[in-house]
Order: sequence, then structure tokens, then C-alpha cells
Amino acid sequence: MESRAAAPESGVVIEGPGDEAGYAVKLQAFEGPLDLLLHLIRLNEVDIHDIPIARIAEQYLEYLDLLRDLNIDVASEYLLMAATLAWIKSRMLLPPDGTEEGAEEGPDPRAELVARLLEYQRFREAAHELDGVWRLDRDVFAAQCPKPEAVPDAEREIEVGLFELVEALRSVLAHAPATGAAHELAVETITVRERMLAVMEALEQAPSLEFLQIFEPPDGRPPHRSMIVATFLAVLELVRLAAIRVYQGLDAAGVPTGPIRLRAGADVEDANWRERISELM
Amino acid sequence: MERDKQRQIVEALILASPEPIAAARLAEILPYGKRKRVIELVRELNDAYAAEGRAFEIWEVGGGYQVRTRPEYANYVKQLNRVSALRLSRAALETLALVAYRQPVTRAEIEGVRGVDPGPILRNLIDRKLVRIAGHRDVPGRPMLYATARRFLEVFGLNSLEDLPTLRDLEELAAEVDGAAAPVGEPAPEPEGVAAPSPAAEIADAPEPSGELH
Repeated sequence: MESRAAAPESGVVIEGPGDEAGYAVKLQAFEGPLDLLLHLIRLNEVDIHDIPIARIAEQYLEYLDLLRDLNIDVASEYLLMAATLAWIKSRMLLPPDGTEEGAEEGPDPRAELVARLLEYQRFREAAHELDGVWRLDRDVFAAQCPKPEAVPDAEREIEVGLFELVEALRSVLAHAPATGAAHELAVETITVRERMLAVMEALEQAPSLEFLQIFEPPDGRPPHRSMIVATFLAVLELVRLAAIRVYQGLDAAGVPTGPIRLRAGADVEDANWRERISELM
Repeated sequence: MERDKQRQIVEALILASPEPIAAARLAEILPYGKRKRVIELVRELNDAYAAEGRAFEIWEVGGGYQVRTRPEYANYVKQLNRVSALRLSRAALETLALVAYRQPVTRAEIEGVRGVDPGPILRNLIDRKLVRIAGHRDVPGRPMLYATARRFLEVFGLNSLEDLPTLRDLEELAAEVDGAAAPVGEPAPEPEGVAAPSPAAEIADAPEPSGELH
């Protein structure tokens, strides 16, 4: 994935056909065409500012052939470099004079390649140096405390006063569709008892509920006013019975913040609320 | 407050902090603390650890202090964690070096130097939180810009990007690349030889780029 050409991890040695009298190909993994070129320049012990392009290009192509023999896909960037080398080679063969510019000597056709090679070499070295730095979780290990778990809102709650509750109710009512008197239809009667049971049931599904959430009818329509009023009365009744608790989180400064939430009362698990509500209402 | 007591408080805070803790933050908590005093105290702690031959020391990484085991115990600690260390291939390291030194840098600029498309490697480095996307360059196509993330400093034990080893001079490099000057094998230097360790005692005097951790 990282270098599609000589893909094996660097340092991997691929043995050639072993039966041929000790013949083995040492195949180094290269990180791209520039890496391979730098290797060839070193191998040939030549001056980077005066690369014998013909020789290097030849060896470069030999290497690509070798990859093909080994059935390794040669990535396009290697082929692009092969073309570049061929182009430079042809430019070098042209006589320095008699060209269209007419100037004495054009720039060395190799100059750009040399600049790229040096720049790449620079970062190849930087990478090498970076690898040598003491690395966390390889060479050195941090003594670290685990992060404290975030305190859930419920742990820093305060009980909500009636005033806040009524405020919340007002905002629910504000969002309810206005009931035009002329179109008032007695669709269904919603009882406080029903709403009490519904809230308790919902609290069995979730550890806590947002206050505004309980006003939403299950069918997703905006809540009707009679629904809102019945639900609000149900909440007050449930609080009175200590079946639920209504609370709000505190911020760091101790100011109540965030949505008002409902939670089942402390001993709600073992009580049969369905029966108790039925009895009471 | 006695200096010994102050030193112990600083030690406790650094130990108990879930992430590297900045000198400025320590100074906030430490009674009668000043940033300058905190830096002194940390140096005293490290001197004491060294004198007593402790297996750990306080490092200053990414602008904060952190207690770390000494590298000579790596082979043992590794067995304890059983978590494979962050392994970085040569290609990943080269790409990371390019991002580190050239940041913010585009994918095309990285490809220009390495001659290979860095896309998959960049994604991998972002997944490992070593590299982050630092916006777009305001040119046609609005290419994404890549920069090192805070985690990069922590992993490589650097206090700030200024602590990166300086890039080699091109002229000097050219002389070395020329044939015989360089060995073919490229021996990997010992970590000790290359790394400028950054335990806080040695670099505590360096001005901190920012006091806050975040």
C-alpha cells in the first residue's frame, strides 16, 4: 500500500531462483522512484551534480525489469521517473549549440532532478532522525492517571422548584398548536392517571427523561393542550407520591443549568406502580 | 510555604495529571506558586531522581510536564503493556517529517518531494492523531492543509515544534550524497546517539510558546 513497487517492508531479502549456483537477488524495498535513484547514485559512487544519466537510467530500468520478473506491480510513479530519465538522456545527447535558443549553453537538463533528489534526501534523513528520537510507548512510557470519568448530571443535581416547573410548562404550551375554539373537537379524553402510567412506563425504558420529552405523544404529532395539562398534573402527582424526582444539573459555579429531567424515585423498582396509581386515581 | 513542601505538591500534581500539565497550570494550583518557581522545582525533582537513580524522570512535552520511564527500561515495560508500540513505516516517517517541517502543507507538496502519493499514509497518520487537517489553502481547488497534531509532540517527546532537529543544509547534503562519502548500508544510529532527550531539566529554560495546554 505504501510503496506499491517494491512493496515488501524495507530490509526484506527476496531470494532469487535458489537452484542456480548460489544466485540470490537482494531486493531492497524502495519508498519511491527518488529513493531508488538515490540508491543507484550511491551504489555507483558518482557525483550527484554530475550524474551519468545513461548509466543510471539503464540500471533503473533493469531494476524495474527485475520487479516485473518477480511479478511485482510497478507503480506508475516509477514509470514516470523512467520517462523523465529517458527525456534527460535525450536532452544530454543534443549538441549544446544550434538549438532554438541559440544561447551558449542551456541549463543542465539534470538540474531539476538533482534538486528533487537532494530535497527528498533531506527529508529521508529527517525521517530517519525522527525515528531515532525516544518515542512514547516504544522507548519511554508515561506514568499517567486515567482521566476521571465525567460526572453525570444526575450526580450533581438539585431538586427543581415549582416555579421552574411552571416555567417549563409555559414553554411547552407556547409550542403547542393553538386550539381554535370553533374547531374544538372532543377527540379523546386524556386522564391524569393515563399520563402518570405513561411517564412511569417511559422511565422503565430510560434511566431519565427530559421534561419536555414526556409531553410528546407517541405518534409524534405536536401535543394537544389537554395532553400537556394532564401530563403536567401527572408529573406533580408523581412527585408528591415520591415516584419520580425532578431535577436539573448544576454548572461549576453551582448555578442550575441544562434541561429539567425526570428520574424514577429511589424505591420505585420494587413498588408496583401500576396498581398504586390505579388505587389512588 | 516551605520549598520542600512545594516541590512535593508539584510532584503530586504531575503524577496525578491525566495529561501533560503546563507549568502555568501548576503555578495556579501551587500555593505561592510562580511559573518560574515551578520550573525550578521540576528541575530539582529531576536532579533528585537522577541522584537517587530512579527509573523515571519528568519530561516536558507539548508544553506540559509528564513523568516518563527512562528508556533503558523500555524492554521490560513493553512486556507489561502488551500493547504494540506505535509502529511507523519508513514511508509514514518520511511523510510525517514532511508534514512536521513544512506545515501547513498540501498533499501535492508532499507528493512533490517524495515522488509518491501520500494519500493513504496521511489518512493513517490522521487516524493515529499524529497529523491533523489545518484548513484549506486559499487557492483554486482549495486543497486541504496538513499539520502535526498535539499528539505528535507527545509521542516524539518534543516540547514544541521548535525542538525538531534542524533540517540539514542542502549543500552539506550534496557533498555527502556524492558517491563514496556515504556508506551504502545506512546504519541505523542508536536512539541514544541521535535523540536529544528532552527531560525537563535540560530544556526547562526554553521559553514556553504557550502556557495553556489546550
